[in-house]
Amino acid sequence: MQIKDKSIILRNLKESSAEWINGQGPLTDIVISSRIRLARNVKGIPFPPRAKQGELKNIFELSRQVTGEDSLFEDSNLLLLDELTPLESQFLVEKHLISIYHAREKRSYRGCVFNQKETLSIMVNEEDHFRIQYLLSGLQLSNIWKLINEIDDEIEKKVTYAFSEKEGYLTSCPTNVGTGMRASIMLHLPALAMVNSINDILKTISKIGYVVRGFYGEGTEVMGNLFQVSNQITLGLSEEEIIDNLEKVTQQIINREQKARKELLSNSKSRLEDQAWRAYGILNSARIISSAEAMELLSKLRFGVGLGVISHPNLRTLNKLMLLIQPAYLQMLAGKDLDHFGRDLQRAILIRNEISK
Amino acid sequence: MLCQICKKKESAITFTKIVGGQKTEIHLCKDCAPIFSDKFSVFPHPQFDINDLLIGLLNAIDLYHKEEGVIPVKEIECSNCHLTYDEFKLSGKLGCSVCYYDFREQLVPLLRRLYGNNEHVGKIPQQSEGKLNEIRKIKQLKKELHELVLKEEYEKAAKTRDEILKLEGVSKKKNAN
Repeated sequence: MQIKDKSIILRNLKESSAEWINGQGPLTDIVISSRIRLARNVKGIPFPPRAKQGELKNIFELSRQVTGEDSLFEDSNLLLLDELTPLESQFLVEKHLISIYHAREKRSYRGCVFNQKETLSIMVNEEDHFRIQYLLSGLQLSNIWKLINEIDDEIEKKVTYAFSEKEGYLTSCPTNVGTGMRASIMLHLPALAMVNSINDILKTISKIGYVVRGFYGEGTEVMGNLFQVSNQITLGLSEEEIIDNLEKVTQQIINREQKARKELLSNSKSRLEDQAWRAYGILNSARIISSAEAMELLSKLRFGVGLGVISHPNLRTLNKLMLLIQPAYLQMLAGKDLDHFGRDLQRAILIRNEISK
Repeated sequence: MLCQICKKKESAITFTKIVGGQKTEIHLCKDCAPIFSDKFSVFPHPQFDINDLLIGLLNAIDLYHKEEGVIPVKEIECSNCHLTYDEFKLSGKLGCSVCYYDFREQLVPLLRRLYGNNEHVGKIPQQSEGKLNEIRKIKQLKKELHELVLKEEYEKAAKTRDEILKLEGVSKKKNAN
């Protein structure tokens, strides 16, 4: 791990973009990213919501030790969230490095370890002692499992996990017990939204044990036709089975989206073309734009690029923009606090710059 | 029949749950059914917070206990972190790994409702790998033995039995050490 000052780490984060938004990998016109997170706790120490100051501190120090010595974490950084302003914490949320809960919780010694590519992040003292997360672009859960499993093994060499034979990995919330694993796939489903089948599909998959969430996970709204599908069941199935099941369910949604896209393309190509170019026109000319409007237009443009009715900008730029235009990210880039109106102005400038590149 | 929640209106909907082979029915009126089905459903609709679901389940279990005349236990507390079971019911979060042991009587029905009659079959920490793998193997062999006996394949069954005895001997020795 590299020892760096908080301001340097944040500056680097502002300038870098995560690998998972690069728009490469299998099925990226529909699948934005895949993610796995593992919940792990250290044996003998109360879970963070119940732990005392000294115990939280020990866990934080342990995370420094574990990641500090290991070559797997060579290019990683560690941030102590207690030292960050609310804006800086929110920026990490928008970067998908930490959860909203982790950013807003008042507990001391909350940490975040992440690597340079922003594919790996470990939340320290969130609801569980360690929440290890790995993100890649496109549909590649099996790859992620291989990578995160290795990291988990490495941490386990230095830490004894709370584990029981019957219940598996013990977690603060019983809804994570067992594998402690939540696998999710972020999908962009504009065609299904357009033909009004999205609600039926989402209702069905939630009935068979999957959860659908918005762009920023638990409790967040759906925006830009982005949906995160994840497993609910964590006990009684192996990690491979959970991944396989989730991929199968997702594949069916992808098939439906592809079919809807094809039908729309053959029935109303000119309408789709018009929609995409109009979105491009507004994004490229607006002087004031809200995040809701921007997300909606970016979704339409992304849809058009996926269909091939418009070729510019590329998926990477569009994915990146969906993050950059979020409130805290915008203000971090501007280097100052902005009010609502100021953000709408700044957002319009940023979008025009990125799109015309 | 009267609604089992409000006990005022006539019941209109019956929920049937089969858990561990045991069938339970609950009769509800039109007004109470939506509230109950929301809290009771293992598979929440989108935007449903998982913690709400858990707390809903905990309350549903309590309701069942009431229906079945189970007298609620006096306040129980985790011997390690001193979290009380009532506190757990409010937050849906356990305090430490010992809570899983100290609240096991209360947690078993909850876990069963969440996951069915299942046990962990996923990854095992490397530190306990050897021992746990043996336990898993013995369980698997016992299942096979049972099937072989049912099929009256006694020769194969005898071999499996010997294998189990051998493995059990090894794991007992390991435990003694």
